[in-house]
Amino acid sequence: MKHRIDSRWIAVAVLVTLLVLTPLYLKRSPYQMAVLTGAFFYAILASSWALLAGIAGQFSFAHMAFVGIGAYTAGLLGRDLGTTPLVGILAGTLMAGLVGLIIGLLCLRLKAAYLALFTIAFSEILRIVIVTEFEFTEGSNGLQLSKLWEGVTGTQEYYVTLALLLGSMALMYWLAGSRFGLFVRSMREDEEAASAMGVNVVRYKVMIFVITSLIVGLAGSVFYHQVGIITPNTMEILQMSMVIAMAVIGGMESLLGAAIGAFLSRFGLEMLREINILGFHLELGAWRYAAFGLLLIFTLRFAQNGLLYPIIDRLFKRRAREETVAKRVQETEVES
Amino acid sequence: MVPLWYFTPNLDRWYWAGGTGVLSAVELYGLFAITQPDNLCVTNAGYVANQASNGLIIGSIYALTAVGLTLIYSVQGIVSFAHGQSYMIGGYASYYFLQLFTDLNPIVGVPVAGLVTMLIGFAFERLFLRPMHLGRIERAGEYAILITFGFGFFLQYTALAIVGPFSQKTDTYLESGSLHLGPLNLIPNRLVAAAVGMVLIGILLYFINHTWTGKALRAVSMDKQAAAVTGINPLTMNTLAFGIGTMLAGMSGAALIPVFTWVPWVGMLASTRSYVIIVLGGLGSIPGALAGGLIIGLVEALGAGCYPDPSRGAAYKTAFGLILFALTLLLRPTGLFGRES
Repeated sequence: MKHRIDSRWIAVAVLVTLLVLTPLYLKRSPYQMAVLTGAFFYAILASSWALLAGIAGQFSFAHMAFVGIGAYTAGLLGRDLGTTPLVGILAGTLMAGLVGLIIGLLCLRLKAAYLALFTIAFSEILRIVIVTEFEFTEGSNGLQLSKLWEGVTGTQEYYVTLALLLGSMALMYWLAGSRFGLFVRSMREDEEAASAMGVNVVRYKVMIFVITSLIVGLAGSVFYHQVGIITPNTMEILQMSMVIAMAVIGGMESLLGAAIGAFLSRFGLEMLREINILGFHLELGAWRYAAFGLLLIFTLRFAQNGLLYPIIDRLFKRRAREETVAKRVQETEVES
Repeated sequence: MVPLWYFTPNLDRWYWAGGTGVLSAVELYGLFAITQPDNLCVTNAGYVANQASNGLIIGSIYALTAVGLTLIYSVQGIVSFAHGQSYMIGGYASYYFLQLFTDLNPIVGVPVAGLVTMLIGFAFERLFLRPMHLGRIERAGEYAILITFGFGFFLQYTALAIVGPFSQKTDTYLESGSLHLGPLNLIPNRLVAAAVGMVLIGILLYFINHTWTGKALRAVSMDKQAAAVTGINPLTMNTLAFGIGTMLAGMSGAALIPVFTWVPWVGMLASTRSYVIIVLGGLGSIPGALAGGLIIGLVEALGAGCYPDPSRGAAYKTAFGLILFALTLLLRPTGLFGRES
């Protein structure tokens, strides 16, 4: 058993080391660095959505809206009050958390499809308001954001985003493994049973909303300070469906699965933009997304735990679970 | 506002809810008239009537889209998140069919689009939703949301890949520009679209209420087990309901492509609007979807026409419906005609 725990930490350490060392190889290619940084950002979004939807069972479609709230708060503060990006990021994060609190409170009674519909409505209203009030928000032209600090390089941005990803993953894993994680999981399985067993359903439902919106608000405000511009298109449902597709393909019930799934799909989609094989030049354009959608529905139908599940399962849980199953079988044999 | 607050706990009859709704709308209008005495909506009754009639016309075709969605919900118990994409596909099916011929009235495209989207709906239901109804899939509710959503995603990008990000439009139904009826200034083209919507809803209601298959559909929507006992196969009915629902979405798309220009992401707005309508009318209720469609058409038209700043009013058009939607979800999730679950 001990030997297995070691191997999981080794896997994580190898992965982190690889990610930390990657810039040494890619130093000459700012484009690839930017792609990787974007992939980290989507990994944060997908894994936090996995926490909200996969683990806590709250099917919110407002994740990108919280990204937008964080980034727009930071951007507007920077533009109108001239605050430093750090202050803007803090304010953006808190703002996203606050709105998350309100949405969480409003959504208490709503379940499954109703919650999905309500959050779609919320993000659409927000997007329409931002597009329409262009005198204040620059509308569809997009709001300019200053760089994180003067003379920031691609490598630094890479490390900042990587640190954010690792930090949020650590936080979310800690949460998912704690009593809190147990409670939200029980809520997902059966809300009434959970509250009958003494879980304060109201409190945990609101808390999970606040925590995930804080995470994405932070990620959004930092990431869009790097991109330099945020447009209302970020909050479109199509963008949201991208995050959902990534999380589902990677494995919705595993934070690591969702993060790796998002990272790989983002990277893959970007690399497949155009391919050159044997002199043939292929512009894939929207076809790669169509194929991605096909992959999404087949994953859902035939591998509900995500495509990465077998790998993660082998690394992390298999031995432990086999043991318990074996024990259970033994126990029932003894009983009967 | 006072009666609204007063009656909130016993909004258990649709006429209470509807009556209070109308009352609060009147009060809102009064408040609006006091704060904005110069607005066209206060000074010019003809303008209001005109906006309202146009809203009702467009609302009846919104209702057609939403009826399909509500039919799927009532039989299968799921909300199809691919509905707007079916609407979009219907429009394109009609468009490409009409391209094959010259001088064909676009109304011919409607049944063609219906056929295409119905087949798509049948195929999707058989392949992806039937296993869920057979109990082969864990957490059916979540699966239903995600699988329909994923299917919509797939249709969306496939259409984008095939058609490209350009807007397209078929010929209009009729040539003439506008029709004057007293103070009303109606657009015949839209009237035809609305008539198509109304006729199709009429056919659907006849089918649901007076044919064996329609009665079987309703039976399944009321009680699956009891229906199965009387010899109705719920699985067949599920497939049928999904197919008809998608077909209605496709037909409404085909009915509207001569009126609006078509781009691959036109379905996003249509689906959001359909959600608004079916929740407002009550999930699973066909009369509710009809009423909801008309109400949303009215709210959008009046909201856009009466907003103090006209350019913003047009931009906020969808938002008015969405706010109504959010309020319905929060105050009365069963909607106007909804059943208690």
